Amino acid sequence: MEGGCSASPPSEASGVTVDSGSGGASKFLANLPSRGLFSSTVLSSNPGGMRVYICDHDTSPPDLNRYSVVSEDQLIKTNQTNILIRSLMLKNQKGDSSSRDGKVSVANQGSRKRAAEKALDKAAGKKAMSSTQLGSSQEGSSRVLDKDLDSLKVEKLRALLKERGLSTKGIKANRVGCPFERSKWVERLVKLREASTL
Amino acid sequence: MSIWNYVVTAHKPTNVTHSCVGNFTAPQELNLIVAKCTRIEIHLLSPQGLQSLQPMLDVPIYGRIATLELFRPHVSIQLRLKGEAQDLLFIATERYKFCVLQWDAESGEVITRAMGDVSDRIGRPTDNGQIGIIDPDCRLIGLHLYDGLFKVIPFDNKGQLKEAFNIRLEELQVLDIKFLYGCPKPTIVVLYQDNKDARHVKTYEVALKDKDFVEGPWSQNNLDNGADLLIPVPPPLCGVLIIGEETIVYCSDSTFKAIPIRPSITRAYGRVDADGSRYLLGDHNGLLHLLVITHEKEKVTGLKIELLGETSVASSISYLDNAVVFVGSSYGDSQLIKLNLHPDAKGSYVEVVERYVNLGPIVDFCVVDLERQGQGQVVTCSGAYKDGSLRIVRNGIGINEQASVELQGIKGMWSLRSATDDPYDTFLVVSFINETRILAMNMEDELEETEIEGFCSEVQTLFCHDAAYDQLVQVTSNSVRLVSSTSRELRNEWFAPEGYSVNVATANATQVLLATGGGHLVYLEIGDGVLTQVKHTQLEYDISCLDINPIGDNPNYSQLAAVGMWTDISVRIFSLPDLNPITKEPLGGEIIPRSVLLCSFEGISYLLCALGDGHLLNFVLNTSNGELADRKKVSLGTQPITLRTFSSKNATHVFAASDRPTVIYSSNKKLLYSNVNLKEVSHMCPFNSAAFPDSLAIAKEGELTIGTIDDIQKLHIRSIPLGEHARRICHQEQTRTFAICSLKYNQSSAEDSEMHFIRLLDDQTFEFISTYPLDQFECGCSILSCSFSDDSNVYYCVGTAYVMPEENEPSKGRILVFAVEDGKLQLIAEKETKGAVYSLNSFNGKLLAAINQKIQLYKWMLRDDGSHELQSECGHHGHILALYVQTRGDFIVVGDLMKSISLLIYKHEEGAIEERARDYNANWMSAVEILDDDIYLGAENNFNLFTVRKNSEGATDEERGRLEVVGEYHLGEFVNRFRHGSLVMRLPDSDVGQIPTVIFGTVNGVIGVIASLPHDQYIFLEKLQMNLRKVIKGVGGLSHEQWRSFYNEKKTVDAKNFLDGDLIESFLDLNRNRMEEISKAMSVPVEELMKRVEELTRLH
Repeated sequence: MEGGCSASPPSEASGVTVDSGSGGASKFLANLPSRGLFSSTVLSSNPGGMRVYICDHDTSPPDLNRYSVVSEDQLIKTNQTNILIRSLMLKNQKGDSSSRDGKVSVANQGSRKRAAEKALDKAAGKKAMSSTQLGSSQEGSSRVLDKDLDSLKVEKLRALLKERGLSTKGIKANRVGCPFERSKWVERLVKLREASTL
Repeated sequence: MSIWNYVVTAHKPTNVTHSCVGNFTAPQELNLIVAKCTRIEIHLLSPQGLQSLQPMLDVPIYGRIATLELFRPHVSIQLRLKGEAQDLLFIATERYKFCVLQWDAESGEVITRAMGDVSDRIGRPTDNGQIGIIDPDCRLIGLHLYDGLFKVIPFDNKGQLKEAFNIRLEELQVLDIKFLYGCPKPTIVVLYQDNKDARHVKTYEVALKDKDFVEGPWSQNNLDNGADLLIPVPPPLCGVLIIGEETIVYCSDSTFKAIPIRPSITRAYGRVDADGSRYLLGDHNGLLHLLVITHEKEKVTGLKIELLGETSVASSISYLDNAVVFVGSSYGDSQLIKLNLHPDAKGSYVEVVERYVNLGPIVDFCVVDLERQGQGQVVTCSGAYKDGSLRIVRNGIGINEQASVELQGIKGMWSLRSATDDPYDTFLVVSFINETRILAMNMEDELEETEIEGFCSEVQTLFCHDAAYDQLVQVTSNSVRLVSSTSRELRNEWFAPEGYSVNVATANATQVLLATGGGHLVYLEIGDGVLTQVKHTQLEYDISCLDINPIGDNPNYSQLAAVGMWTDISVRIFSLPDLNPITKEPLGGEIIPRSVLLCSFEGISYLLCALGDGHLLNFVLNTSNGELADRKKVSLGTQPITLRTFSSKNATHVFAASDRPTVIYSSNKKLLYSNVNLKEVSHMCPFNSAAFPDSLAIAKEGELTIGTIDDIQKLHIRSIPLGEHARRICHQEQTRTFAICSLKYNQSSAEDSEMHFIRLLDDQTFEFISTYPLDQFECGCSILSCSFSDDSNVYYCVGTAYVMPEENEPSKGRILVFAVEDGKLQLIAEKETKGAVYSLNSFNGKLLAAINQKIQLYKWMLRDDGSHELQSECGHHGHILALYVQTRGDFIVVGDLMKSISLLIYKHEEGAIEERARDYNANWMSAVEILDDDIYLGAENNFNLFTVRKNSEGATDEERGRLEVVGEYHLGEFVNRFRHGSLVMRLPDSDVGQIPTVIFGTVNGVIGVIASLPHDQYIFLEKLQMNLRKVIKGVGGLSHEQWRSFYNEKKTVDAKNFLDGDLIESFLDLNRNRMEEISKAMSVPVEELMKRVEELTRLH
């Protein structure tokens, strides 16, 4: 179990100095791409202010009525068909087409079917699991977070974590900006909460 | 303070999260686009000229940018439509909005090509951040936002987006996903971790018709345990690089090549060649490597990695052109670097050519008044790892003193050149009440007294100027003298009429305008050795001030003269040379104008008119007809102001000398006012000598100072690089020191170790003057400067925690009490605690500590032997982790790790701490502050702000025990600290001087201000904000209302009792028509709106 932000592995690099013994980089740095920009030897960029963009035109995306070029409304939405149902329909279609289409080799058909079934099974399993988790955790979380939190001791919270099968290994995500990144405990609690709001 | 709060940014985010290069603004223009969390900056790479990286536009985005990609949609050939000539920009935000932006060069606008909401009702947000990728052949956009789901937004054959759909992704712990190049069907490669923590990659083809995945061409199991990043390689190779912590692997369906690397975490990469044969990799130590894929035609023969040198720890790397690379950083300043073909003396191929300031992450800060001028400065703990630093952020402009002499009673100053074409000034003419002295640079570059024979030195000089034909002009009360600048002899003299003396005068290279008593105005022209009186006129009153600064096409000749009047208190414009009156503007009030100035900024001409009471009026001047418009009045100080122009970095600015010296400059065609960090300046003149180029001569408090001026900008930032990571900071006024808790990462040892210190710094030089090393595994968590009852000494108290590798939560810590003696930290007392000391507060002459779940109060007790010790008095349990504590009187406000805010009270008689009330929401706090007795401010980890109110009048215990949420707002920033204070000088006579403010600092480097407004002003501004929302639209169609709505996993509610100052202040950037529109909707005149908004801008 390592400390939060020190998850970084050791480095042999001495930091500032570069081993120039091999001097090898020169040959790889030849012919760097150039389009002729930055050709002046003296580089200077403007430290001064950059114009702040004030957007006072209509920014809603183009729709069918406004632009003839647009073939589809550009306010994009997500297809609401349940993945499971889509997968089922797909399977049916595939079943139909493959039985009709004699050109598809048996092996291929079999593997496809298996893959689809497998995916379906897994999906179904996951779905079921997640829905039960959803129910219990929602109840659990609201109860825990709103009512009993006062009485909850750290050990109990820890047990709660374990109960939910949360990884005991912390996230590698760097939390250097936040002052308590050292505490593994915080990271775990973050996970706990994420789980509780699933 | 109050519940009606106004939130505004004083310093914008500087943390660079993403960057990309492409042809965004025109087909032939190459742009660098940089994302700074909630803003994008568009730069232009220009082939030549002074500015190689030219800033174009700073675009606010109503969201935290999660992904940023440039792409160019393909259009099917059958349609015979012209393909897109320039790149489009894809942005997805953390709140599940996305948009596709296009630059319209004709209108100079950012157009929304498409936008949408990609959130799903059910789904667990990914742990490792959101992924947004675009198929290299532009068949679809892929998003990984929730575990187990891959969202696809397909393109149609015209490059338009179609309805999105989800595909189930079996891999739950995804680390990275990229599209492969050169695949007949869009193919993703997924890097994931299995439930045994082993890492693998797998490919899938996206079957768009079936809306499903098909097993892809290849996969690779059991990779480097630290593999974290995929880099797809373009044609002809079309494989993928898998970057691990100890190995780098190139993988494709037919090839597998691996090389070992020194252990490092690669944080960013940038492709160098279009064919992907070279990449730049930036690691967690800021080391930059070049990765080379050696290949023969399409066959990869090997990988090579070469260390190039050191940069800031990179968060993004964009190869620009011609060996120049942009390195974006979250933990240090971003940089522009050049890759040299040959290493320098230290063996580095990296040359830093430019740095871009980044304050992020601001982990802590304090507000101090180092110059003791009544103006706050913010000193931040910024940056991380080796790039840690302190930053001194102050409003206004600094003068860096180069030289100074004691000189009392200066009445005026002018610099003169020894020849008209001399680029430098030679003489500095200093005028006193009854003499004039001339200073000049001698051979040793010292300022010494000299003489100009032709000048009259026995009297006060009213005005001096360089004149054409290598001449100098001096105006005294009885004559105008024209002197050769080479021979220094008098060439001609004009005498005031008998019985009259010159009161005020002004001149430029070819003209002199002066006023004598009785309202006489005399106009002279300067020839070669001759002064000619061209015109004379008499006005009805005496003249108080004059100006003929040329602002037209001819830099040596003015066609207008500005004249300020006694008696009728007006300012008038006359034409030259005929002295015909053109405009008369009564100033109103009873204060006479003391200084007028004609000047031009960004192509707009202005008349500035300074009054005797520290007010400044400005008008836009129409140079063709002399008309004055857009009158505005601001208060700069309380004493008379003298105005003078000067140049810095090729731009003209105005210096207003007074008791609050101010620089007036223009940005975005708006006049801005910036304080100068000097107490009182009576006179100023530019003095550009060879020894002191671009300097100013400043007369103040019995002293003449030559100094250079900082860059002209609103906030000035000074960096103190530490080479280690400062985490807590505190100032001690009495000892004029800062103390910090810091940690140094040790890169050289085999073990990745870190050492923690308490360091004492001088508050002027910012040098380490004393260091107290903490124990192994011990780190500083809190620091405080305080004193105790019955002890007049001041101490630094430090709270620590022992972070043991095997412990989940620290079970031991210390409170260390230090005194500063002879500039050294002396440990006076120490107390062991049963956990991490997250917070320390001075409380009723005692010390209040937050230790893990507990709030603990310590008394400062005198032992028999005369030494002191901390003795536990009482405590309060009942928190998950009491991370943030603020106190006021007997009240204690606690910000808990996950239980929002609670209010405790200390009962003296019982010597006990009890809970009074709490907020029952489950907010995960990141900072708290007490606004007033009843209102407390909190920030939490979903980037929201909220206020709660104590309910003392509640009828039941239950009501009284509940902190009522009264304000909610989505800031979009992770706040680490609030502090009471202000960045600006509070003038007692201005309205904003009465508005209390809190400053906050964030992970992105934002410094913001929260100002509590009176209710009527809040209502007014709320209405203005509502109207502005109708006019100022969110880029990409993103909604301001949604962006500012309070948002966490449980709820989304409209913002209340917080106003977005950034939106409100952008009113001033609108064009006149838009302002009129809003004025009409509000039924308030434009001028009134501008005045009220301008006042708000002076809060920060």
